[in-house]
Amino acid sequence: MPHWGADDPLAELRRALANPHVQADRLRYRGVLLRVIRRMTQGADVSGLFLEMVKAGATADLVQKKLVYLYMGTCAPLQPDLALLAINTLRKDCCDPNPMVRGLALRSMCSLRMPGIEEYIQQPVLNGLRDKAPCVRRVAVLGCAKMQKFQGDTDVDGALVNELYSLLRDPDPIVVVNCLRALEEILRREGGVVINKPIAHHLLKRMCDLDQWGQSEVLTFLLRYQPRSEEELFNILSLLDGALKSSSPSVVMAATKLFLEMAKDFPQVQTDVLVRAKGPLLTACTSESRELSFTALCHVRQILGSLPGHFSSHYKKFFCSYSEPQYIKCQKMGVLCELVNDDNVQQVLEELKSYCTDVCTELAQKAIFAIGSIGRMYSEQCVRILTELLRLKQEHITSAVVQAFRDLAWLCPQCTEAICQALSSCEETMQDIEGKQALIWLLGAHGERIPNAPYVLEDFVENVKSEMFPAVKMELLTALVRLFLFRPAECQDVLGRLLYYCIEEEKDMVVRDRGLFYYRLLAAGVEEVKQVLCSPKSDPSLGLLEDQAERPVNKWASEFNTLVPIYGKACWAIVTANLMTETNHGGFPCATPMTAGTESLISEGNKEVLQTRPDSGGLTLIPKAHLTAEQFEKTWLSLAVSCQQALPWHGAADPDTIQTALRVVHIQTIAMSKAGTQPWKAYLSAQDDSGCLFLTELLLETETSEMRLSVKQTEERTEALQSFLSVLQTVMGTVLGLKC
Amino acid sequence: MIGGLFIYNHKGEVLISRVYRDDIGRNAVDAFRVNVIHARQQVRSPVTNIARTSFFHVKRSNIWLAAVTKQNVNAAMVFEFLYKMCDVMTAYFGKISEENIKNNFVLIYELLDEILDFGYPQNSETGALKTFITQQGIKSQTKEEQSQITSQVTGQIGWRREGIKYRRNELFLDVLESVNLLMSPQGQVLSAHVSGRVVMKSYLSGMPECKFGMNDKIVIEKQGKGPADETGKSGKQSIAIDDCTFHQCVRLSKFDSERSISFIPPDGEFELMRYRTTKDIILPFRVIPLVREVGRTKLEVKVVIKSNFKPSLLAQKIEVRIPTPLNTSGVQVICMKGKAKYKASENAIVWKIKRMAGMKESQISAEIELLPTNDKKKWARPPISMNFEVPFAPSGLKVRYLKVFEPKLNYSDHDVIKWSSVPCPAMGRFVTKKDEG
Repeated sequence: MPHWGADDPLAELRRALANPHVQADRLRYRGVLLRVIRRMTQGADVSGLFLEMVKAGATADLVQKKLVYLYMGTCAPLQPDLALLAINTLRKDCCDPNPMVRGLALRSMCSLRMPGIEEYIQQPVLNGLRDKAPCVRRVAVLGCAKMQKFQGDTDVDGALVNELYSLLRDPDPIVVVNCLRALEEILRREGGVVINKPIAHHLLKRMCDLDQWGQSEVLTFLLRYQPRSEEELFNILSLLDGALKSSSPSVVMAATKLFLEMAKDFPQVQTDVLVRAKGPLLTACTSESRELSFTALCHVRQILGSLPGHFSSHYKKFFCSYSEPQYIKCQKMGVLCELVNDDNVQQVLEELKSYCTDVCTELAQKAIFAIGSIGRMYSEQCVRILTELLRLKQEHITSAVVQAFRDLAWLCPQCTEAICQALSSCEETMQDIEGKQALIWLLGAHGERIPNAPYVLEDFVENVKSEMFPAVKMELLTALVRLFLFRPAECQDVLGRLLYYCIEEEKDMVVRDRGLFYYRLLAAGVEEVKQVLCSPKSDPSLGLLEDQAERPVNKWASEFNTLVPIYGKACWAIVTANLMTETNHGGFPCATPMTAGTESLISEGNKEVLQTRPDSGGLTLIPKAHLTAEQFEKTWLSLAVSCQQALPWHGAADPDTIQTALRVVHIQTIAMSKAGTQPWKAYLSAQDDSGCLFLTELLLETETSEMRLSVKQTEERTEALQSFLSVLQTVMGTVLGLKC
Repeated sequence: MIGGLFIYNHKGEVLISRVYRDDIGRNAVDAFRVNVIHARQQVRSPVTNIARTSFFHVKRSNIWLAAVTKQNVNAAMVFEFLYKMCDVMTAYFGKISEENIKNNFVLIYELLDEILDFGYPQNSETGALKTFITQQGIKSQTKEEQSQITSQVTGQIGWRREGIKYRRNELFLDVLESVNLLMSPQGQVLSAHVSGRVVMKSYLSGMPECKFGMNDKIVIEKQGKGPADETGKSGKQSIAIDDCTFHQCVRLSKFDSERSISFIPPDGEFELMRYRTTKDIILPFRVIPLVREVGRTKLEVKVVIKSNFKPSLLAQKIEVRIPTPLNTSGVQVICMKGKAKYKASENAIVWKIKRMAGMKESQISAEIELLPTNDKKKWARPPISMNFEVPFAPSGLKVRYLKVFEPKLNYSDHDVIKWSSVPCPAMGRFVTKKDEG
């Protein structure tokens, strides 16, 4: 494209828009506007046409109006001055006899994101609230929320809030729901919209008129309402019963959550509710809409955590079918693991077994791990299946099986025997790091029952030079030392070679240190080694018990139907935790990069003290004040001591800590003696915002256990001096506190 | 609430982007493209969290639709909304494809403006939206239409506007079923379920009240064995429906108390109900596949299909799709009936039979030449799928009656209902696990 190409279309469009012939022909005019919008979507800057577009907006043609408003919504922030021109047209349209034009204009006006807009929209919005057409009222109600956003911090307009509360009685259902949404946003600081008894009952009455979005949102708002009596509670629950059978999964989920939360004190009712919701949830799980079925599956897993038997009879619904995407298959396997019981274990294992040979490596491994986790309860069957899988001699399968075995041997010691028998010759098809580690661990921990264990490990030792992963080498060291304790004769030579390699030839320091550690341990005598390596393990049944513990429904009821079950609890915690620290940073703008570096050194609580103290006495120390040693010396000698003080101190001074701590409060260290010198001395300087310098000498006398402070000041100001002293005392106190 | 909605093509180019709330920045559009569309591996989850922003996406053919939010929203609702959005778009311009979206982008912006305001879903019923959307029907608005908007949405019936008039009142009904079958390699049926949809097209004037009856077991038992005799000859008299859901227009209270389905239909095409049955499914066909590997470069496939219904009935438009390995170099097909062709682009042999009577058998055999590869991965052996039309529903569902009352205009149901379309064709699909031979 030639260089003028970028500019030319805009000029051409401008010409076309201004052409009276085009303006006279409605279809042609519309065609030009379409081209403008198309360029806007492609990301081109078309804000230069704003004036022409405003003119085009003054028309009776509705299509044309919509196009122009769409344009304005996007370009107004770029042309705030010209946008004011558009407001006139918009305000005129707000009084149009056609309700559609009124609604459109009001909505467009509220979406013009530019400063100062609120004073223009206030009146039209208020008029809109009383409009006779429901479609205008809908827009106006949300307009109130948008207006509040523009105004930001200013106080909430009480009259407006009252008006919105009264609009909850509007005959149009969408107006009602929009009112709730708007109130929620406007009153966010005060905890959102208040649902009292009359409102709650009114909403319950209107439930049946609402569409699915409205229903599911109103159900969420009703969570706020706490029924006064048991009778009222049960009346509400029976009124809402229909929602549990709604065709829309989101309504069903919202209703389930409301029921669970309301019946917090009635576990029996909660169980009933979950039974009622079972059908719709299962339908959602098997529905053809993948994403919805994924969502439902996540929630099924949540329920299974509390009621393990809840879906057991429907296990077939959770069998994977060929065409399902991977994320559904993974979830389904998770569900299958959790709903397994005596009746269906056979079929579930059969099914999982068929996934183990899936073409997709990841799914196959997942299936194997699933069988492994079922093995914690039905170890015999699972070990048999896993052993069969080993015969396939597929790399990824063997690796996953051995990892599953490792976990089983740890958690269910009773199946160790069977596992040990199955392990022979699987080292030949093992390539990946996790698989190797698992195998080596098993050989080391249970080597006394595996006849060829030393020889397998010997093979690994022979190839140790070409081994890429340090983790495998470390595992190998531990395993071989362990096995040496039981079968010294077979292992001694190999162990010797491995230790020699690790200490003499290995380049990875961690492995080398581990080698040295075992070497020295062995040198201390076999008894010592036994004590370290074979002391009683942590009780393996503990982990199992923790996994199995049934979580009460109330623990997750408040998280039901949110994003928590979808991301998983841990993941969600990370997402929200980051959010917290971010707001924290926003709150402390004084956190300069300098202090950020010391964060790790000074514990959270102390930092708080350090950061808040400097402001307390009306004293602000300037961070950038910098004094050279010569300047300091000159000033120091020219001044008299304004104040002397002694602080209790014990032990030696740690110059690094003191320096870091002082830097946090913007006190510069000019010079300092080395740690342990007698007497220890330090010279400090600081400057406050009025330009006054504070020069300080620290003198530590170990005999008297005292830290002597001498402060000199360039301007005589006792108040500032007192604040400075208190800052200094706090810092020194904190440093002393850290030492203890 | 939804902060923004983006539509991308398969390359990740933004076709539509509409931001509703200020907390969603322009860079969110790129974040999704980079992290999900351009990601090398398979999609991990339909919900992705990137920098504390949640992206909910659905895919239609090769178009990505993503809803973005920073709040802790209710996922089911967002997905349902995206589906609704797809439905509305399909109702306006047919298939959701890159070309259609590009051609209709002003319409889509207009729709997005109407159905979401400040990120909150508003009116989303296609019928009701028609009055607000100007595109497509480029006709100008008359006075009459303007007054409609005021009268519409008085809170009573959000899905139908008043004053609809047709010269000929017509109502079409289709029952579409899909059979999902899981078979073990030994030919044993592991699980089967039918998921069906009752789809209606209504072109009726005024505010008609419709009533729809089917051979639901509970209803039949309630009425005693009265009218059951006439249906007795075709085997099942009533069916047990495992679960069903209805369009918003169906009065659920009446369904609960009387189990009758009565409703005021929306204008145009809509899905009246969805249901699922698992008991006593009539499998219209049996498919028996045999696969034999002859050496490393040849595969012999034989597939037998048996029709499993009364000889007097005819199945039509049968299409069997037999997947072939990716490294197929050539295929020779012999079939006794119908036509079969190897379609290299689809990696499948497609076998079409125009008609087939009940209790018949037909087979196809094919020799597949393979190119030798050193690809270690095994062929996934996708299932054989089959499409057909049969004059009965595999679930056994039958329409017993469909009545229409219009209190004001007073047209009667015989003029209206296209009974010819009621004993409707059922579409079926088999998913079999091929035997592991």
